[in-house]
Amino acid sequence: MPPAVKSKKAVALQAKVPTARKSKFQADLAPSEDSMVRILKTELQMTSNTDFLTDALALLRWAVSERKRGHHIISESSTGERKILLFPRLERVAPEVTLPHVDIRWTDKELESLVELASGQPTDPTDALIRAMRQ
Amino acid sequence: MAVTIRRLEESDEVEGFDCGDEPLNNYLRRHAWTNQQKVSIGVTYAAVDESARRTVLGYFTLATSSVPRDRFPNKYVRGLPPYDLPLILLARLAVDRRFSGKGLGHALISEALKITLRVADEVGCRCIITDAYPDKAGWYARYGFLPLECTAATSSQKMFLDVRTVRRALSSESSSAERK
Repeated sequence: MPPAVKSKKAVALQAKVPTARKSKFQADLAPSEDSMVRILKTELQMTSNTDFLTDALALLRWAVSERKRGHHIISESSTGERKILLFPRLERVAPEVTLPHVDIRWTDKELESLVELASGQPTDPTDALIRAMRQ
Repeated sequence: MAVTIRRLEESDEVEGFDCGDEPLNNYLRRHAWTNQQKVSIGVTYAAVDESARRTVLGYFTLATSSVPRDRFPNKYVRGLPPYDLPLILLARLAVDRRFSGKGLGHALISEALKITLRVADEVGCRCIITDAYPDKAGWYARYGFLPLECTAATSSQKMFLDVRTVRRALSSESSSAERK
């Protein structure tokens, strides 16, 4: 059975274990932004600023991860009308390399050869390729 | 000569570029900038010397493409995932003949393949395809490009390089660097 009363040594050791400190977050909001926060909290049935910030953070984190993967964030109305979210700060995390898309003309024989190579095992890199990747 | 490879800029000097092939010269002079900035059908990367940062010594153009799954012959479709095949097209690669033999072609293809890997990591891509002049097919083959079979004699040869092979080359590089 464990002792009912902890020894002084055990208590001292426990006190040294670091606990995750909660950060305080303070923001200066313009009256219109403050009002927007209040309206959103009401709409979302939130009572605390902490819950509000936690949800906003989760949403922003998701948006950043999608944009980082090169995905677009799109809203679609019931009639199928689509709008793409363009948020300048999010665009900063979009992939640096964005290449346009083109169509290539393929013959049936070329396509057969392509799919055969693409579905097979990759070949070993040549010396020139290894040198190129080392450059 | 200290060469930098970066995206083509509007003020780059392209008029004097001469690789010995008029369609490739003409593409750089007339179409590369428009295709990159206005109609967005290809991004051109230019090799420039540090001492003359506006003069294009060589270039390559990249674009993405894909092959719809339903275009593949039935006998192969079963082994493939149910998506289109995404790929990168190395649409152009040329070196000004005044600078040939200085390793510029190697530097250009090296950069093109590194960009391909970055794209593959960011948005996914299965292979890189180029449409080589028949007399240049051997040069691409040195880097592991494999010729696609074609039905008849054509003016160009489509060639294939698996992104996994490029990635292996990078890891070969890492393991050899770790050994040092």
